[in-house]
Amino acid sequence: MTIITPDTKPAAVPGSGSVLLAYLKRDKLALAAAIFLAIVVIAAALGPWLVGDAASRLGLRQRNLAPFALASGWIYVLGADTLGRPILARLIVGAQNTFGIAAAAVFASMLVGGTLGLIAGYSERWYSHLILRLADVVMSFPSLLLALIVLYTLGPSITNLVIVLAVTRMPIYLRTARAEVLELRERMFVSAARAMGAKPTRIIVRHIAPLVLPTLVTISAIDFATVILSESALSFLGLGIQPPDFTWGAMVANGRGYLATAWWIAFWPGLAIMLTTLSLNILSNWARTVADPQQRWRLQTLRKAAR
Amino acid sequence: MITYLGRRAFHSILSVIGLLTLVFFLTRLTGDPSALYLPLDSTAEARAAFARLNGLDQPIYWQFLDYLRDLLQLDFGESLRQNRSAMQVALEAFPETLKLAAVAITLSTALAILVGSLAAARPGSMFDRVASFVSLAGASAPDFWVAIVGILVFAVGLGLLPTSGTGTWAHWIMPVFVLMLRPFGLLVQVVRGTMLSALASPYIKTARAKGLPRQKIIFGHALRNSLLPVVTVAGDLATSLVNGAVVVESIFGWPGIGKLMIDSIIQRDFAVVQSTILVTATAIFILNIAIDLLYAVLDPRIRY
Amino acid sequence: MNRSVHTIAAVVLMTAAAPSAVAQEAAQEIRIVLPEQPANLEPCGTIITNVGQILSQNVVESLTVIDPVTGQPQPKLATEWTSVDPTTWRIKLREGVKFQDGTELNADAVAFSINRMISGKLTCSNIAKFGDAKLTLTPVDDLTVEIKSDRPEPIMPTLLSVVMIVSPKTPVDQAVNDPVGTGPFTLSTFSPQTVVLDAFDGYWGKKPEITKATYVWRPESSIRAAMVETGEADLTPSIAIQDASNPETDFAYLNSETTAIRIDAAEPPLDDLRVRKALNLAIDWEGLAQLFGDDVKRASQMVVSGINGHDDALEPWPYDPEEAKKLIEEARTAGVAVDTEIKLIGRNGIYPNGAEAMEAMMTMWQDAGLNVKLTMLDVADWLRYLQKPFPPERGPNLLQMMHDNNKGDAAFTVPIFYRSSGSYSTLADPAFDKEIDAALAATGEARTNSFKAIFGKARNEVVADIPMFHMIGYTRVGTRLEWKPDITTNSEIPLANIAIKKD
Repeated sequence: MTIITPDTKPAAVPGSGSVLLAYLKRDKLALAAAIFLAIVVIAAALGPWLVGDAASRLGLRQRNLAPFALASGWIYVLGADTLGRPILARLIVGAQNTFGIAAAAVFASMLVGGTLGLIAGYSERWYSHLILRLADVVMSFPSLLLALIVLYTLGPSITNLVIVLAVTRMPIYLRTARAEVLELRERMFVSAARAMGAKPTRIIVRHIAPLVLPTLVTISAIDFATVILSESALSFLGLGIQPPDFTWGAMVANGRGYLATAWWIAFWPGLAIMLTTLSLNILSNWARTVADPQQRWRLQTLRKAAR
Repeated sequence: MITYLGRRAFHSILSVIGLLTLVFFLTRLTGDPSALYLPLDSTAEARAAFARLNGLDQPIYWQFLDYLRDLLQLDFGESLRQNRSAMQVALEAFPETLKLAAVAITLSTALAILVGSLAAARPGSMFDRVASFVSLAGASAPDFWVAIVGILVFAVGLGLLPTSGTGTWAHWIMPVFVLMLRPFGLLVQVVRGTMLSALASPYIKTARAKGLPRQKIIFGHALRNSLLPVVTVAGDLATSLVNGAVVVESIFGWPGIGKLMIDSIIQRDFAVVQSTILVTATAIFILNIAIDLLYAVLDPRIRY
Repeated sequence: MNRSVHTIAAVVLMTAAAPSAVAQEAAQEIRIVLPEQPANLEPCGTIITNVGQILSQNVVESLTVIDPVTGQPQPKLATEWTSVDPTTWRIKLREGVKFQDGTELNADAVAFSINRMISGKLTCSNIAKFGDAKLTLTPVDDLTVEIKSDRPEPIMPTLLSVVMIVSPKTPVDQAVNDPVGTGPFTLSTFSPQTVVLDAFDGYWGKKPEITKATYVWRPESSIRAAMVETGEADLTPSIAIQDASNPETDFAYLNSETTAIRIDAAEPPLDDLRVRKALNLAIDWEGLAQLFGDDVKRASQMVVSGINGHDDALEPWPYDPEEAKKLIEEARTAGVAVDTEIKLIGRNGIYPNGAEAMEAMMTMWQDAGLNVKLTMLDVADWLRYLQKPFPPERGPNLLQMMHDNNKGDAAFTVPIFYRSSGSYSTLADPAFDKEIDAALAATGEARTNSFKAIFGKARNEVVADIPMFHMIGYTRVGTRLEWKPDITTNSEIPLANIAIKKD
């Protein structure tokens, strides 16, 4: 146990990439998850270039083509959907929307939630209380229902979907940021800055925010999976993304009516959602193990034994 | 204790009122529901008569004042769709969801405590790894997808279970299973984590040194001390269980409050939307207080 | 202790014995699974599918019924009708009919039912079929009633098929969920899970074979189909084409619904006739029909055959992408802004595979060189575009529609769609209006021919819409039952017509 000495900032210790990579290799499951995510992200990024316009080209005479038949070309390996469009191509193009919406929502809720949390933590004015109460209202009510009502009012569109998802996830960032600020506020360096006459805005932006940010980023990584699931559920219920745009959740909804006759239309996109969120969760679990001094030995012992 | 509960109740009532106000104005923004309730070929007079009959011709702030005044007299309005008291409709649906949620959360908590403890007892073992993977998979699975694949396999394919609806015990299996997935997955993680740190603590080491049987250490000593975070998480999950209920109920045709809420949002049956929200929010508020009380029971150090 | 053991034993015995008892009874009981929960059971709302399929001709009956083949009104609670003068009809009622609460059916009861409908004190959907006509009811004697309208109503007997006669004890100013009518079944339970109907012993007509019917509802077509397959239910109306896979249990029926796209002819570039023709020509109709099944009929007009005014000789638009492109080019050269974005407005859940059809049509129009963009809306938002007053910012738009006329006459279609005052109409042609008014006032052969001429003009000269298909409904009927759906199935499922197979 001499290589790594657990100290006050455990997360920062296995800092170098090669050490992390070594840990990743120790955990086969995490490795598989990382590889899967990498493939999906690359596919989503290069999607349009890879499959061309295959995802939207009609093939009304190839409707509900069964999977694993290569007669129509490799792109039809997962079958075709209700309009004869290849499911593989649609999965790739749909990944872009799925990830794009989730990323935008997570980023927006982190930014707004974090900022409000900083304010609520640092200041004790009336608006701090108002912010907290509002967070309570959002927290105390099932997020999906709130999202349904708001989406129904504003009308389903990608922008509104992002706003709604961001609002429902915001309280988590808000509370975490506030809790951290409450603690940091009493630290020496903040008192010193205050004594030297620094303005509150400056203290928050220059001294406190940089220390809060890493925690928020960690949370956002885990939250990403939750947001993908929420977005899928909303799209499945018909209040998320609207045709001709689509995400994986909308693809499941589309195939819902064909379960008995063409199971593959709903099955593949559902599997894609599941594998993606599962990979994200496995990776965040792994990251927690790496960061936890009491647990980290699990990823180290074998290497030591081999030495 | 009493002052604590009082303050808590006051805050919750404020939240519920805030929520109701928000929802009142949001739903009214969606426009005139008369188009949905009258046939497409209705005349303009028929539409005007409908609006007048249901007070929809008043300015919105006036409608809101009306609503508040009725609320004070415990009149929650009439359902446009069902021609009867909106609260009655909501209260009929609520027990159905409650039953489903109670069974799901109890089963998943019990099962998670068992599986999580056993996994923590032998960290790194085959059982631990399988349990971790299964629980993560449960927490990651899109519930709507599991539900429809379940119907496809067990009802349509194998014919073992009924496709949907209520009635016999067999009708419960799939909805409960789907609803359990996520809480079970998350709770196993929590139980395992807290048990691991409990087992590493000095007093367990002492107990072990005294030669107490292994099972007694795990389920007697360590578990008792890990229950607090489990209760916290289970309480949080109960709120989000309503999310799952919306999906599960609408797929399995379960006549609960989640399905009612979706239907009435889509049908713009405003009074019912308000009533379902009032009922759900009140239930969640009571649940939160119950959890606080449970803390005090579980941990004698906590005093309010 | 001992007692409770006995009780438990008794309960176990009872539950063990129950299935056999149920099996004997079950022969006359059926379970029907509907797509939607009925919102309420107000007899004044029977034109709403989910109410009508339960109540119509089962619990409540109308004065006349429409023959599904000829479209002509047939006697039900009314036995004869004569036109006294153009605005007055004299109706003779059936003798010896009793309501389920014991009250006699007489002229007062009929006057009560119609007055209740038109009172405006409750929301009554059925009255919409009468438009804004003002009716006055006068009982002549015990079994004769006179109906006076403020303008000539040549199809009054047809209209009377939507008038459901209810017991005079029904509240006048309040919608009900416990209707009492003259039908062969009484309502026994209405809960959020089921509706149960029991046979009514005092029924005036032939006693139905079925003694009890239980209705449940599931939105998913695949689940409903599976329920009939596994025996959880005996019958389900309107399953999706992809679920109608078993020729032994699944029956197709022309369901009086016609799908179409309305062209907003008031907005450029859609005000150009060439563009409107190109829109019709650019669709691969045969390919699109794949979405709706082999049995759908390509439509050339907004009503199905069997409706007075339908023209069998009218040809639908063919698929001719070259001609479509040529027409668009011609319009472009003539200075029409054919590149303007055209909104294609679809409605979620309008009919099975409706969203897919919109996606497919959008792609085909884009291929033809038009800038069409699809927006899917929910019912309420879609209605804003369907009905006048249209949203001011609507812009050039194409609107997905489905029209259901099972009432025997084109009068329920033509004025709404093509007259400038029609609530769905984007046209404003005084000459066309005049033609329509003349047709509405005509009777007999002249009426039929003028409606045919109007449909011909709408198809060839005005091109106000893109008729798609006369739709096909599929119904799954359990092997235990002897019953076939017909054009009326979307509005009623008379239990009296269902027989149980003897085997």
